[in-house]
Amino acid sequence: MNGAIVERFGAVVAGIVVAVVSFYSLYKDWHAVGVENNVFKLMLFLLGVGAILAILAGLNVIGFTAS
Amino acid sequence: MTAATLAHDAHGDVDQLYIETRELRLQGFLLFLISDCVLFSSFIFAYLYMRNSGQGWPPPGIHRLDVPFAAWNSVVLFGSGATMHYALENFKHGHWMRYMIFLLATIVLGAGFLAGQGYEYTHLIYGEHVTWAGSGIFGASFFTLTGMHGLHVFIGVCYLTVLVLQSSAGVYTRGKYFGITAGTLYWHFVDVIWVVLFSIFYLI
Repeated sequence: MNGAIVERFGAVVAGIVVAVVSFYSLYKDWHAVGVENNVFKLMLFLLGVGAILAILAGLNVIGFTAS
Repeated sequence: MTAATLAHDAHGDVDQLYIETRELRLQGFLLFLISDCVLFSSFIFAYLYMRNSGQGWPPPGIHRLDVPFAAWNSVVLFGSGATMHYALENFKHGHWMRYMIFLLATIVLGAGFLAGQGYEYTHLIYGEHVTWAGSGIFGASFFTLTGMHGLHVFIGVCYLTVLVLQSSAGVYTRGKYFGITAGTLYWHFVDVIWVVLFSIFYLI
């Protein structure tokens, strides 16, 4: 199997796990108050966005190699 | 008053001081992260300006970067952000063993990301002959920004290793764990910076 396909598959599967975990944690902590928790919420949201970007890159939807 | 009572009182004062200064510590640490954000922003905007001033990107003679590998390596780093978040949550809830497992997983994933970056650098330098000083703006900006980020990840891995040692020695308690909170904030920051770098170098 081509190495790039393995990398893409890994990126998509692991990316889905990370995105789900990030957004679930964000959902769970949504009502938490205080500066610290609000910063964590922002960070979790951006982490989830990053995971989605990695999924899309893995699926060849975005990135240099997208057709 | 006995020595034991004095020690207890001194300890109590320290705890009171800790509670009173907790918000200040947090604000100080957030200011540090903001200053680091400014540092990265200046490099990122300089890179974007130079990129848009040139004749196409990447410059002629340089191959495009390996997106599938970068996507996989990015997920490794983002995964470490999730494990670090769960390490903190488990510590807050008193699940010490789970906290240690998630903390160690974060260190392993962070080291894995650094190994992946090392592999990519080796491939670029020896395979593609792209270097920091000899490949124009592309090489200089790529190695400066990703290298600076890699240095932050390395410092984070060292910091988390210290956290493991301190936690094993019983330094942190359920009411006194700012070091772990700071470590989690720092690690999330490193993740978020990579979201930006991944986007500008590999996706657009």
